[in-house]
Amino acid sequence: MFSGIAAALGGSVGQPQAVPAPLTTGPRWAIVVDVARCIGCQACTVSCIMENAVPADSFRTIVSTCEVQQGGHTAMLMLPRLCNHCADPPCIPVCPVGATYQQADGIVVVNADACVGCAYCVQACPYNARFINHETRKADKCTFCTHRVKAGLLSACVESCVGGARIFGDLNDPASVVHKLMAEHATKVPRPEMNTGPNVCYRGLDDAFLGKVEAEPTLWHSSLPNPGHAEPHA
Amino acid sequence: MALVEWLRIARLGLVVALVAGVAAPVALLADLYQPGRFWCFYAHPNLHSWMAWGAFFIPGYLGGLMLYAGAALRPALRSALFRAAAPHPLLGCAWRLLALGGAPAPLLLRLGALAATVFALLALLYTGMEVMGVRARPLWNTPLLPVQFAITAQAGAVGAVLVLDRVLRGHEPALAEKLTRMLAWLISAELVLGLMQRTPAHAAALAAVAHSETWRMTGTWASTAALATAALALQPRLGWLAGLPALHAAWMFRWSVSIGGQTSPSCGVA
Repeated sequence: MFSGIAAALGGSVGQPQAVPAPLTTGPRWAIVVDVARCIGCQACTVSCIMENAVPADSFRTIVSTCEVQQGGHTAMLMLPRLCNHCADPPCIPVCPVGATYQQADGIVVVNADACVGCAYCVQACPYNARFINHETRKADKCTFCTHRVKAGLLSACVESCVGGARIFGDLNDPASVVHKLMAEHATKVPRPEMNTGPNVCYRGLDDAFLGKVEAEPTLWHSSLPNPGHAEPHA
Repeated sequence: MALVEWLRIARLGLVVALVAGVAAPVALLADLYQPGRFWCFYAHPNLHSWMAWGAFFIPGYLGGLMLYAGAALRPALRSALFRAAAPHPLLGCAWRLLALGGAPAPLLLRLGALAATVFALLALLYTGMEVMGVRARPLWNTPLLPVQFAITAQAGAVGAVLVLDRVLRGHEPALAEKLTRMLAWLISAELVLGLMQRTPAHAAALAAVAHSETWRMTGTWASTAALATAALALQPRLGWLAGLPALHAAWMFRWSVSIGGQTSPSCGVA
């Protein structure tokens, strides 16, 4: 009954992602994920954990894996997920103390000295990219390894990607691969109906996987206790 | 019924409000992962966030409530001191302090009532809006959620008063019957509101939980609790029995929406 009502009244499909307007004249960092190149090795997940001291059972980035079937054929879906560092981040206006902010280069970060741990931003993120770090007891998320980027290095996940599925670059540089891929409308964004202007885009991703995927996960199961999963402070 | 006949209900309601009002800040602070930083709400408020406004509305409501309660209960505390044969020394001391002479203070009463009412409405507004405004969660992002929160809160309050009225001395069946009818109207309004919502936002909310067996059970449980409350409330003599599921329904609605709404991921594989 619920599905019937929902089907009668709603629905959305993936929309190609246009190149977001430049934030500043400096770099505007973005990542394009080529899903066809991801082999689900989780090297990105592990390297991120090592680089950023992410606590157990929490992830700044992870490759969601599940089995999908279509027309009798079964295949594995490997979907790298991380913070999208949106052009219009919904997590910033909800923070009651302004602890979350966006740098000039587009990277969204949390000021750990100001965060009160209310978890409102965790709920406001449409991409499940945030969590409450159960060791620091503050909001935590992917930062594109901004400390590495400022030193001229790549993010840890990009550096360690075995298949070269994560392509990091400057959207404000017309010669960069990410700019070209997004300008050619060859990429899609997760949950396009949210209109947040994500700067993590996907190449080769079916529309069916742009939102919540109803599938049995093959690696990390949400039924396991997650210390980083928190209810918002009211 | 004359206003003076509502005095007992008003006092019971005030007791419920005081208990909840004292407990609420403790619960809110404890829910923060960094409770020692609560001062940041006032030092660095981000007024684009509804939650930031709540940090001002709640103390305003509690201040108005305490002022109103003090002004309203002073005469009663003083006469209780005289009536009681041998009050416990500590209790008598507390009553004497709270009574502050016991003289009526109509101006303070009106000021407290005004402040408590205004800030209570603002607290109702901000709690509904901070949940409704989260577009990431379709179950929350429905236009009538603040109204539903308000109605279920009122039903829970009436339920609490019904139960207290029954268990304390001075129970008046006629008064309880009126409250029970009020509860019946509130539950009916909530059920009608739930059934009449047919917007794309509600479609998206239902789609977000349609595949979840847990949510089907939750929805069935919540509906059954509401229907049971309505059925009991239609029997005026069973008012206090309806009060118990009404309290449960108020809590259940909030738990289902706030906590249950988080268990379903909005993106990626569950």
